[in-house]
Formats: sequence, C-alpha cells, structure tokens
Amino acid sequence: MSNISRKSFLKFGVALPLALQSLNSRAQQAKKQSPKRIIFINSCLGFYKAYFFPKQRGDLSTSDYLKDMKLKEKMTVFENLFHPGMETSNHDSEKSFLTGAPSPESPTFVNGISLDQVLAQQMGGDTRFPFLNFSIYDRGWGCSWNDRGAAIPPMHDEQKIFQMLFEKHDLQAKKQQLQDDQNILNSLRRDLAMLLKQGSNAGKLKSYQTVLADLENQLNHEKVWLNTSKPKVSKSLSDDQEYVFSTKIRNLFELAKLAFQTDSTRVITLSMDWIDGAIKVPGATGAWHTLSHHGGKPDVIARLSRIELDTLKHFNRFLVEMDKIQEEGGSLLDHTTVVMGSNFGDSSNHTCFCLPIIVAGGGYRHRAHTVLEKPTPLCNLYLELLHAHNIDVGSFGSSQQDMGLLTG
Amino acid sequence: MRNLISAIAIFITIGMGWAVQSSPTDMDAVSCLVDANCGISKLEKQVSAKFKNYCFDCHDAATKEGGIDLSDLLSRNDFDGSLIFEHLITGKMPPKQEQQPTDNEKLLMLGWLAQRQAESIPNAYRRISRHEFVHSTNDLLDVQLDLTGMIPEDRGTHDFDSDRRVMLTRQMLNSYFAVADEMLEFALPAHGFIHERTWVTNKIKDSHKTYNIYTRNYKDGILFSWTRANNGNSYSFFYDNFEPPVKGWYELTFDAAKLGSFKEDVSIEVFAGKYYYADDRPQPQRLLDVISLGNSEMRSHRVRVFLYPGENVSVHCYSEHNFRQKNGNQGAYIKQLKVRGPVLEQWPPSSYHQIFGDLPLKAVPRETINTSEPQTNLKAIGGSLSVSSFQQGMEKEKMQDGSNRTFWHTRFNPTLAKPPHYVIFENPQGNQINGLLYATWSGGNGNGQVQSYAIHLSDDGKSWDEPIMTGELETRLANEQQINFSQPTTKRFIKFLVTDAFTLDGRSLASIGKLDVITSLTANDPLLSVSVSSASADDLKKVIRRFAQKAFSSDLTDEQLAPYYEVSLNALQEQGDFVAATKLGLKAIMCSHRFLLAPGEYENRSSGKAADLARILWLSVPDKELLAISAMDKLNGSTLESQINRMLRDEKTQRMIQSFSGQWLNLRSFDKVTPSLKLYPLYNDLLNHYLPLETETYLNYLIQENLPVGRLIDADFSFLNQRLARHYGIEGVVGQQMRKVSFGPEVPRGGLLTMGSVLKVTADGFDTSPIRRGAWISKNIAGNTLSPPPENIEAIEPEEGNAATTLRQQIDQHKNNASCYACHKSIDPYGFALESFDATGQSRKKYRVKLAHKGTFQYRPQGYFKLAGEVDTGGELDEDKFADVFGLKKILLADHRKIAYNFSKRFFEYANGYEPNLQQRLHLHAMIPDSAESCRMKDLIVKVLVYSLEINSNE
Repeated sequence: MSNISRKSFLKFGVALPLALQSLNSRAQQAKKQSPKRIIFINSCLGFYKAYFFPKQRGDLSTSDYLKDMKLKEKMTVFENLFHPGMETSNHDSEKSFLTGAPSPESPTFVNGISLDQVLAQQMGGDTRFPFLNFSIYDRGWGCSWNDRGAAIPPMHDEQKIFQMLFEKHDLQAKKQQLQDDQNILNSLRRDLAMLLKQGSNAGKLKSYQTVLADLENQLNHEKVWLNTSKPKVSKSLSDDQEYVFSTKIRNLFELAKLAFQTDSTRVITLSMDWIDGAIKVPGATGAWHTLSHHGGKPDVIARLSRIELDTLKHFNRFLVEMDKIQEEGGSLLDHTTVVMGSNFGDSSNHTCFCLPIIVAGGGYRHRAHTVLEKPTPLCNLYLELLHAHNIDVGSFGSSQQDMGLLTG
Repeated sequence: MRNLISAIAIFITIGMGWAVQSSPTDMDAVSCLVDANCGISKLEKQVSAKFKNYCFDCHDAATKEGGIDLSDLLSRNDFDGSLIFEHLITGKMPPKQEQQPTDNEKLLMLGWLAQRQAESIPNAYRRISRHEFVHSTNDLLDVQLDLTGMIPEDRGTHDFDSDRRVMLTRQMLNSYFAVADEMLEFALPAHGFIHERTWVTNKIKDSHKTYNIYTRNYKDGILFSWTRANNGNSYSFFYDNFEPPVKGWYELTFDAAKLGSFKEDVSIEVFAGKYYYADDRPQPQRLLDVISLGNSEMRSHRVRVFLYPGENVSVHCYSEHNFRQKNGNQGAYIKQLKVRGPVLEQWPPSSYHQIFGDLPLKAVPRETINTSEPQTNLKAIGGSLSVSSFQQGMEKEKMQDGSNRTFWHTRFNPTLAKPPHYVIFENPQGNQINGLLYATWSGGNGNGQVQSYAIHLSDDGKSWDEPIMTGELETRLANEQQINFSQPTTKRFIKFLVTDAFTLDGRSLASIGKLDVITSLTANDPLLSVSVSSASADDLKKVIRRFAQKAFSSDLTDEQLAPYYEVSLNALQEQGDFVAATKLGLKAIMCSHRFLLAPGEYENRSSGKAADLARILWLSVPDKELLAISAMDKLNGSTLESQINRMLRDEKTQRMIQSFSGQWLNLRSFDKVTPSLKLYPLYNDLLNHYLPLETETYLNYLIQENLPVGRLIDADFSFLNQRLARHYGIEGVVGQQMRKVSFGPEVPRGGLLTMGSVLKVTADGFDTSPIRRGAWISKNIAGNTLSPPPENIEAIEPEEGNAATTLRQQIDQHKNNASCYACHKSIDPYGFALESFDATGQSRKKYRVKLAHKGTFQYRPQGYFKLAGEVDTGGELDEDKFADVFGLKKILLADHRKIAYNFSKRFFEYANGYEPNLQQRLHLHAMIPDSAESCRMKDLIVKVLVYSLEINSNE
C-alpha cells in the first residue's frame, strides 16, 4: 500500500502543483468532450444481505431492495468482493473502504491513500474543486485519506457546501485575502527554514512543512480560479425537518449532482453513518446502529430495511436525475462512474465478507449482477476503475489484477 | 540507558508503595533487574520461575486455559504482553482462589513485562485540538466567540482529542486560517463597532392557531402556559420587535413572575433560533439559558447570551402543573423583555487593551441608543406603500403593523375589485432593496392567500419594466417568506403583483398579512472605528512580541520574531493601517507550528511545562503569572505543585472538566441520543440540559474538594435541581439552581454509574442494553482490559421489547460459549446491575414496551407503552455475587486501586495524547496510596500532571 501511495505521490503530487495542471488543461478544455466523473458512496452499516443481493443470479428484479431501481440496465451489482486482511472487522473498516489497508482497528494502524484521492490527483486539476468529500454530520473523517494516510475531513453542512460551490464572493476582498495568506505562508515558511537548519524537532517541522505546501497549492489553485465566476444554479435543497437524516442524504446527493453538472469537480466521496441515537425515516424510527445488529429478528429487520430502502431511494433518484441531464455524447450518468457500497458485508455480526457493491453509470458494459466464483479483492475492481480513468499506478491496495469486470 | 534509569526510578517509588514482605531471592531479583552487571539470563530465569509458579498451572501448553499458553507466548519476542500486565497489575490474575505472588514477585514480573515491551513510540508531537484552538485564541484576543463548528471534528475514532495518531492536514490548517480571520475580525473589526442599543418588547410573533391559545395577554404583558407541540417538542414562542443587528453578546432582562399557588418553580427556557411559524415541525433552536421563577413577586431576571443576526429570542414555559392550559391562570407571566447589546465590557473594547497594551487608542464615543418605536424596514428608509384596492378595516397599514393576524384585503364589499391586485412600494431615497418579506394572514379561511407573484420595477411609478422575477409562495404556512431579488435594486418604485391567489368561491381576491422590504439597516448605522495612534515600527514589534510570547509560551529573540513581525511591518509600510497590519502578524502566530504543534519551541524547560499545563487544564495558553515563573525557569518542585493547585482553582479549569468528562465518559455523544417520546414522554430539553451539568459539577467538586477516588463509584450526595430531582424521584428540591443535595442510603444515586447522563448515553434512546452499559463501565470505570471480540460470531443484541426473561436468556448465551464468556463475564454483569434504570436514567421495576399509536403521532404525557416483565439486576463478578446496583457499587469500591489506576491512565491519555506504556503504567500504579481514604482525586491529578511534565521535558 505505502508503495503505491509513494509512487503516485511522486507521480502526481507536490512536484506538479495543481495550479499548473489546471492552467494547461483549461486551455484545451474547449476542444474536449464531456469529462469523466466519479463518485464513491459508502453506507457504513451496509445493507441487509438477503434483501440486497438478487435471489436469482443475474436478475435485479429478484432483489427486494433493487427491484424498483429505474436504471437497472446502467448498473452492475457485484457479489463476492472483499478486502483481504479485513474479512472480519469492526466499524473502523470504513477507514479502509477506499484504501484497502489491512487491520484498521490495530492501535498502530496507518492508512494508505484512498482511491478517490489517487483519482483526484490526476483528474482534479481541471475543476475549481479538485475533489469534494461529504459526510452526514461533523465527524472529521470518512472514506478519503491523503497520501500520508491522514483522514481528510469531510464537509457536512449542505448550506456551506452550496455556498462554497455556487455563491459569489467579493472578488476584491478575496484577492486581498489570498495575498495576505500568501504573505503569512511565507513568514511561516521562513520560521520553519530557520528551525530546520538548527535541526531540532525535525519530524514535527517536516510534517508541518508538508501541510503548508499543501495549503499553498490550494491557494494557488484558488488564484487560478479567482476570476472565473462560479456557476449559477437554483437552490434545490430540501429543508424538511421531519426526516432530518433522509433530508441530509437527499441534499448531499443533490449537491453531488449539481457539482458534476456544473463541472465544479469530478471526484466526490460521500460517507454515511449514524452510530449514536435514533433516526427517523418514512415508515420507521429507530437507532440505526442498534437495528443493524438485528440478530435475524424479523421485526428488527423490517425496521432496518426502511432505513436502508430510504437510502437506496435517494440513490435511485440521484441516478435518474443524473441520467436526465444530457451532455455531449450521452447523459451525465454515462460520464459518471457511481460506486455505491459498504465496508460491512454483514454489520449484524461485524463481518466484511462479500461486500455489497454497485457500480452504476460511467458508460460501462453493465451486467446487472455479477457473481464472482471465489472471494475477490475489491481492489481488483478499484484497479480497473483507475485504468478506466487512464491512471496507471501498477497496483492499488490488495489488487492482484484488472479483471475486466466492467470494461472487458 | 533510559529504560534502566526509569526502571530504577520505578523500583524506588514502588518500594514505598508496596509493602516489602518477600524472601531474599525476590529482592535479589529486583535488584538484579536494575543492576547492569547481573546477567540477563539469571534474571530471565528468576522471572520465568515466577510465571511458572503462578501462571503456568493453567496457562501452559498442556492446559492452555482460555486458549492461552503463556509458556509459549512469553518466549516470543514479538508478543505484546500488555494484556498479561494489566491482568497482573489489577489483580485479575492469578484468580483469587489461587496462590498469589508477593508484592515484590509481582513487581518483578511486571517490571520484566514492561521492559520487554517494544518501546511504542507515539508521534513525538501533538496537534492542538479544535477546542484548544478556540479557547486559546479567545483568551489571547480577550473575546468570547465559539467557532468550534468551523473546524472539523478532530478526534477521529479515538477516545481523546489529543490523540497523537490524528495528523494535521491541509483542511485543518485551512480551517485555522479561516477561524483566525473571523476571531480577529470579531476582536478588531476592520470597519468598527455599532452603538449599543436597547429594545423593550412585550409582543410575541404569531404562532399556529392551535398554539396561540397557550399564551394570552395578561396585565401589561403575556402569560405563558406550558405546552408541548404535537410532535413532543417544547413549543416556544418568539419575541417580536427585537432582532440582533450583529453577532455578539446581548443582555436579556425578563421582568417576570410565577403565577400559581404550587410550591415548585416555573422555569422559562430561553432559546435562540430562526423564527419559525410553527406547525408541528421541530423548531431548530439553541437553548441559551434557563430562568427559574421562584415566587410570585415580579423580578428582573438577567441572562447574557450570544446571538447571531437572523435569530430571534423565544421562550418556553415549563412546569409540571400547567400542561396545555387554555386561558389558564398558572405559568410564567412575563411583563416585558428588555434587551441591551451588543454588550462590550468597556470602550474601547478590552481586546484592544490586551493586544495593544498602553498604546494610545482613538475611538469615537459609544452611546446607548433606545430602539423605542418598533418600525418596519419600509418606514426606516422613509418609504410608503400603495395598493390596488382595499376592504374597509383591512387597509394597507395592516401589512405594516407587525402582526399577521391583521391583514390587507382587496375590496370585496360593496363591489368586488377587479384584478390586477398589487402593492407598490415607494423607495424615495433610493436605498438598496434586496427583496421582500412576506407573510400570509393567520387564522382566516385562506381566501386571497397569494400563490404566485411577479416583481416589477419603475423609476416613476408609471412605466414599469418587465418583471425582474416571478415566484410562488407557500399558502399553508404563516411564517415569513423571503423573496430575494437576484440583483439588489435602488429603483424608486417596486411593484408586488399578485398573479394568482387562493379562493374558496372563485372570486378574484388577494390578502396579505405582512409585507415589507428587505434592506440592510445596519449599513446605515454609523460604525465606530477604533484605531491606534501609532505608525511606529517599534510599537508594532512590541505588540507582535507580546502576543507571540503568550501564544508560544516563550519569549522570542529578534531573529526568531522576525518572520512574524515583518509580515506585519510590510503591511504597515504598504497600507499604513496599524491595526490591520497587526492582524496579519497575529494570524501568522495563530497558524504557526509553534502554536499548533506541541511541544513548541521553548526558551527553557519551564516554558514547555507552562505550555503543557495551560493546554491540559485550561485548553489554552499560560497566564501572566505562569509566564513570569517560567521565564525564570522556576516551574519546578513545590512551585510547580502550587501552580497546578492555583490553576485547578481557576475558572478556566471548567473547560478541562467538561472536555475530559465529555471524552472519558463519552458524554460528547450525549446530545446525539434522543429518547423516544412514546416510551419516555416526560423527557424534555430542560432535563437534557441539566443531566450532563450534574456530572460536570460533581466531578469538579470531587477534584476541588480532593475527595477519595471511591466517590466516582458512590456517594451520599450529588448536584441536583428541581428538574433532576424530579427525574430521580428525590423530594424537596425546589428551583432550577444546581446545588449539593444529600440523600439517604436507600437512594441508588451518587457516583457516576447511576447518573442520568451516563445511563442515557449508554443506551440508544429506546432500549437499554446490558452489554453496552456493561462495556462502558468495564472500560471507563473498572478499567478492565479486554481482548477485542472474536470475529465472525453472531452478535447478541437483545431488545428490551422482548419479555425480560428472554433478555437475560439471550445474554446468557455468552456463558455457553467459552470464548464469549472469557470477556463477557467482565462486561455483562455490570450492565445487568443497571437494568433498574431505563434509557433516560429513571428508576424502573418493569420494562416498558412501546405501543402503536393511531394515525400520526400525537404527544401525550402518559406516552404509548405498556409495562412488561420485571427487571432482573443480579449478577456475579469474579465469584462475588450481587443483587442490584448497591451490591455492584460495593464490589467496585472494594478495590480503590483499580479505580484510581484506571482514572490515572485515562487522565494521562487525555493529557498526553497516547496511552501510557507499561513502564509509565507502573509509575502511575505506584502513585496510588494504600488506603482508600487517602487516595484522592486532586492528588492523583497533580501527580499525573507532574509525572507527564517530567516525561515531556525529558523528551
């Protein structure tokens, strides 16, 4: 894992500031066809297996959960994918969902770079936001991990996300602020340089130096985009307070759609969890986590399935809306790889065999339902997705080979 | 070499802690451990003999009890012996009935385990947490502004914010930049401050007609009776005629009295939130404070609160006596609400004095302006309005009188006015208008409610442009709806044209409850700037140096200061604004690694200690006294201890209490759990507010009074008020002020385990789970170290909804499986003892089972449940049987060392950002006094702190 991260880091990382990539590619953008986008959605308590996977192989209409999906021809459900080294795991397995790093619950665990970040390093330079990363509450971590294995805090406040994406800022003030911040960065770097020369606390200082460099890249990227006005969209967020949880998921999907539609970003992750307390969705109120430990009891599964169905309802709506938006050479969905899944195969007993994974859109040759004969590393699929986006990193996580599951 | 030195230190300390009663051979071995000349093989032999004696009977290759073969494990160099160490040091192993090692033998075994542990190297530095960042910058700038929410949660999946495994990221640093900007703007605003204003109001905004009946005009003000909305939320009423013009501190004075002849208090909960014309939806609001109305005398009750523009103040009256009284004569009579603010303690504000020292300040005098006559925005800009037609008694003025119970209506009698129906605003001074604020009229039959509209502009009121916007309005609700223009306008005439309206009988009608323009009035308020009368580089340098010294806990040489000073100096030379230039340097300091990453760069060891202490106890930076002592490098010995004691007494230590208890006891998750209103109908936000306060007040008391550590488990007192006492069924506590309440031995309260806060956060709001609660006590209180649960087994998640017998039976399945039972015997029993408390912490004898309600949920005080099986609270821990929570407490209290050891470990981890390694644990254990009576809270904290500082300054 660490090999990959270092390799990709050297390849796309600080050596080539995003701003430069951005300038180059934007010049050519006019000629280009519709860009590729990708989104990863992790529902961290998984889906009740018996309702999720089709009862009859290959036929999505035999899945209790997926039978009402509108775009069955544009999706593939994978059965029998897993992350080697974390077949059995606790909630920390979410950390490794997009990285494939083993033993996330070990006290000395260090994560690797997540798939979305490898993609963002390559695809992020062309848009105002190299990537977006959402969670449903203030949590500080999710599925996105940077090249040093540090959690990238997701955004969770839909008003703030909307504002960041679409609201005008005071150009003059913003310019001044970027200039001031640049001056501050310079002064901070000067102090660092002095201390580094003295050689004390090198580890601490170097890690700070890296973060400073990251921030400077961000400022440069912002400078490039400063004079480009933000796209205008109508505010289509729901403010329903009755089903707060449901509203949140709906809104985050909506924001993802708007961000893709306006080409504000091309890489998004969305982490969904709710460990403490109760949530209310149409038809059920209950503590999601408690319900997820259903122990096979039918009445508990009935309530749990209302929550999971609610998530899938928003997912379905997202796909349908994305498919309605026409672009050069197909619909927005055809240009967007949508990966929906979970780090848990069965959260009732905390196991991660046979993860529920859906890939939708992206213009692939979809096969509705693919059952792999033997347990297969999820990272094989990830490697294939990297290839599909013209990224060659050799291997990713526990990947063995690109199996051509979508593209073969 | 360090290992050896600390090993000696351990044995010296421990020699005093543990009575020496051992044979000469043991002593040889002990001294051997610290004697470099003594061959390792001899030591190994000695130690392995002990393990053979005391452990291998059960845990060797042949018997392998619990699947553990120590003879094999201990011979492996890569085996982590932490678990064995913990079992040995806490006396869990060898089992009680077996032969026990002497203290020195134990010490030998422990010491050996500690030595062989691969030195776990925590990250050599730790980041500031978001809470520390916000508190520190507030103290540095002498303001109070909580911007924690702007920084992403930074605890990860770990127990403590300080955890060194969470790394600083670009996103975090970016948020520090943003927070620093906002803090500086709040402390030293670029364009100045507004005058202080006062408001007086005794008028509330409209509510849904089904709730309006719970307030009525009474004498000079309003009588509020208690109600909960149909969805169970505490229904609150919004005050009109006051809106905070800017964010800041406001003083709210309620002239109020209790109405009712009962003994208990009536409480006024004061909220802030966006005015929400409520139907049954939840009202997203913040509880600001609670006022306790003790008697029927009219009194002024003052609270100081932080408010944001766009928020309104609302009140909810709570007492157990007047649920939903229509036209009642009990409740809270509020004569009026007086508001003053934004409040600044002094002028120019103290932040200027703190930052600029004695540099001369220039400031326009700040006055207090009475906002007496409430007026609409339209009146405030000198505007007027005209309408297409009106019905008598429903004139255009009714849209501007601040109420939507009165309204404008187009003419229908004697003749029906023909469309178009419209309202035209005149904006004589060409103010910038951002949009319109609209509200339907409330309480009518819906006739004339506007469904869609178009906005036209004109220079002369005669020729109108094409509509700048069209839109639809919600007719079902009567809350204020904003119509935001895409571009603000300064045109003289604005027409609101009704393009469609609701009608019952097909007639063309229009009616409006309220209509006003949206314009920024505060922009017209003069801003009072404060400036520094200096442009001297020397002065600037002093300012930056003073701030840096506080932030970095250290004085800087000119060379060290240069980067921070020169970024300001350049700005001063370029722009000439002393305050603006200062802000740049201060921001650089607040975002510097010297401030964000500990250890910083210190001038001496004392500075580092001062920084650590301030960070741990105050979540902030050292104060003047601490800086002065550390500048002389005298933060040692008795000075150090007396400084720690002084700091603990300081009010800022409340932050540590709140932070530590929030993390250690998991109370951070307290608000995430919402108890079911069907099962626990009396649970409300007042109770929710006080439950964690009980725990914080209690912990603070234990520490300040230096009480024995056993009080964590049990006590004959707690800190309660009327609401908490009612929840706990304790009589005679009147009023909502928290106070120390003593109770008899028959009361199960006292100690952390039986506090509502803990009992609530260990349940999910519906059902209790003995496993979850058991795991909580096992980890947080008893400090049992358990292996992670075995993988791939069917989890047992019992539900209380099932018959109680099956609950016990379900969990007892753990007994049938040896690998489950190995740990669950140290988890489940604790939880069972607490089964006599429901998911809100109230005592119970029987389980409640939820019942279905008909149609949509309607709140009712008796809830929707039936009683089911009786709770069963008995259990057994290490062969000690107990019948209930009283028995459990006794068992826990029997071993004060275990409680103290766990507490010290947790506090150590909180303070340092990593779990103590085995060597450090030996130290912590050795600090625990023999007698339970002399093992006291404050002493432990001081010892852990002194020890932590020692480790840090050796690093």
